[in-house]
Amino acid sequence: MKKTILIILALVTVAGGAFAQKSVKLVIAGRDGDYGNAMQIAVDAYVAKNPNVSFEVLKLSGDDVYQKTVIDLKTGTGTYDIVLIDDPKAMQYQQAGWLVDLDAMFKRSGKPVDSDFISTVIDLCRYPNGPKGRLYALPFVGNVSLFAYRTDLFTKYGLPEPKTWNDVLVAAKKISESDPSIDGISFRGVKGNPILTAFLPIFWSFGADFLDAKGKPTVNSPEAIKALKFFVELSKYGPKSTPMNNTAQIRDGLLSGAVGIAPEVWPAWLAKLDDPNESKVAGKVKVTKHPSDIKKSSPMNGIWHTAIPAASRNKAAAFDFLTFLTSKETQKLMVMKAGLPPSRTSLFEDADILAKYPWYPAIRDALESSVARPRTLYWAEIENTMGAFVQEAVIGQKTPEQALNEANAKLTQILK
Amino acid sequence: MLTSGRANAKAPFFWFIFIPALGVMLWLTIYPMITVFLTSFQDYNYISGSRSWAGLANYVDILGDKVFRTSFINTLVYCIAATAIEVLLGIVLALMFYGEFKGKSLFMILMILPMMLSTMVVSAVWKTLFHYDIGLLNHFLQLLSLPRAGWLIDPNMALGSIILVDVWQWTPFAFIVVQAGLASVPQEIFEASVMDGANYHQTLFRVTLPILRDQILLLILLRTIDTFKVFSKVFALTGGGPGNATETTSYFIYREAFQYFKLGRSSTASMITMIAVAAVSGIYLRKILNTKEV
Repeated sequence: MKKTILIILALVTVAGGAFAQKSVKLVIAGRDGDYGNAMQIAVDAYVAKNPNVSFEVLKLSGDDVYQKTVIDLKTGTGTYDIVLIDDPKAMQYQQAGWLVDLDAMFKRSGKPVDSDFISTVIDLCRYPNGPKGRLYALPFVGNVSLFAYRTDLFTKYGLPEPKTWNDVLVAAKKISESDPSIDGISFRGVKGNPILTAFLPIFWSFGADFLDAKGKPTVNSPEAIKALKFFVELSKYGPKSTPMNNTAQIRDGLLSGAVGIAPEVWPAWLAKLDDPNESKVAGKVKVTKHPSDIKKSSPMNGIWHTAIPAASRNKAAAFDFLTFLTSKETQKLMVMKAGLPPSRTSLFEDADILAKYPWYPAIRDALESSVARPRTLYWAEIENTMGAFVQEAVIGQKTPEQALNEANAKLTQILK
Repeated sequence: MLTSGRANAKAPFFWFIFIPALGVMLWLTIYPMITVFLTSFQDYNYISGSRSWAGLANYVDILGDKVFRTSFINTLVYCIAATAIEVLLGIVLALMFYGEFKGKSLFMILMILPMMLSTMVVSAVWKTLFHYDIGLLNHFLQLLSLPRAGWLIDPNMALGSIILVDVWQWTPFAFIVVQAGLASVPQEIFEASVMDGANYHQTLFRVTLPILRDQILLLILLRTIDTFKVFSKVFALTGGGPGNATETTSYFIYREAFQYFKLGRSSTASMITMIAVAAVSGIYLRKILNTKEV
């Protein structure tokens, strides 16, 4: 009897040990909204193939994911196995040595880094940025800001296709004045990140930039002031609610037919654009890269990085999931089910994707001419500061000159 | 029977319950406060880990910062206005609904409902109500042939709109505190003043309100402390905008600490805010504890 019990105990111990070795739980510090939905789709697909791996997916706001990951990675607690990082903040993580070197992991796995990733996108995942830097992340989403306008309204009012920002101003004015029920233009106006993100494609294409070659702030340059004056003028043809409008208001306004031009839209917002059950403007909106001015079209690069914290206790499992998440098959699944823009070249030529989203080539086009935000450790502060001053100019509390002179002084103080 | 503090101090049981309480207090209150105080004199960047002694530089910097000064003034305006309106409305409502009436239980439940809701939920609902184009408030204004108001988009109105939300949510608390105070006063006192020929006005200002003095002071103290820390409503309704119209000290501290990770500056702003709240609270506490003072 004793012998039988001992044998059973031994078997249970061995089986338990084997189970414990194989069973892994990965914790993902991810995003909410469309990104969260897409991540969940990928996780469900992975679990179906790997039932021994379970997940805890945290769906956090952009600010929350940043706070939580910085605190955790700095203390080396190892709470998270996969983290999502907004592009301009990636440098902080890379420079601090908080992330696993993926080049080394690829080498150990015997797999090469896939050449299908869009080069301008994968280069941002390296540190220093560029093909020679070490790889610390893979691009979860090939996000880029886009420009959308109503072709039916442009035809109705005899407006030319907007090639320059001045064409946009003329069109916004014409639409607003001709049809009071439609806002000629509508962009996000909440202070901080939203309004600055809406402004940046204009700022850059007017020839302005944040920093000069020596890293000195230049946001009050004549080009920048001209760009902000233009932005303020453009805002006159937008809704009065602009200062509190965010993603939902712009997306709903466009889909409900209440907006003529949306100068800042993101691919995931447009997943239902051509679905007649969800959109009143199906087939009537053209999505394209931004118009140009003295410089070329300058859409904002908005990719999100996926990385493995150096403190993760499940690096091998996390690496396996990371390669699955960014694989061609999974990216296609996320595109088709959640409208998440891919970071792989081949998917922009995929027949299924193009049939569902005919405007997808615009993403690739925009990504190729996209501009990345400055690589600085102080981006969060710069973004909030600039976003506050730009809003003050738009609501008329300051002139564009005042706003940008004060912004430049503040940025100088931040960067000193 | 209660014994004096000196007698308590000799009892082993006193030390048995006092030491753990003191330990928790030192660990969770005193230690963080000392840490924040010391950090407020340092140039401390959490991400880079750089930490150096800065003397009074942070204080000079923060007090000279336009955004902080605006935040501080906004916080004061918010605190004084919200507290005053809530306490006044609470007193008026408690007097209006004094005594028994049919359906009082249901009425009380409905009255306290707003303060039982999460602030984020309340803010989300009010954000929709305040919307310039589709908000219910502007819809009513238009029905009355009045122009639409920029509740959250007009820099001159935005702070007032947030105060309105706080008043809606927390007036019930003031009502309950005053109502409980009124209920504890023997009815005979009011009857005696009426028999002595006092009219309603005299009874209210010479009997009722002086009796409720301590409850009202406590109410003002609690609402002052709470409104001075306003964060969630600003975060959810305006994000500090438009411009800096609704920036508050808590929001300023949050940004410095959790978006920029400048712990030195955020500690300094916290210390300045704490000193301001402590000064105001001290005045009220002195009045509450000094029972002879009227």
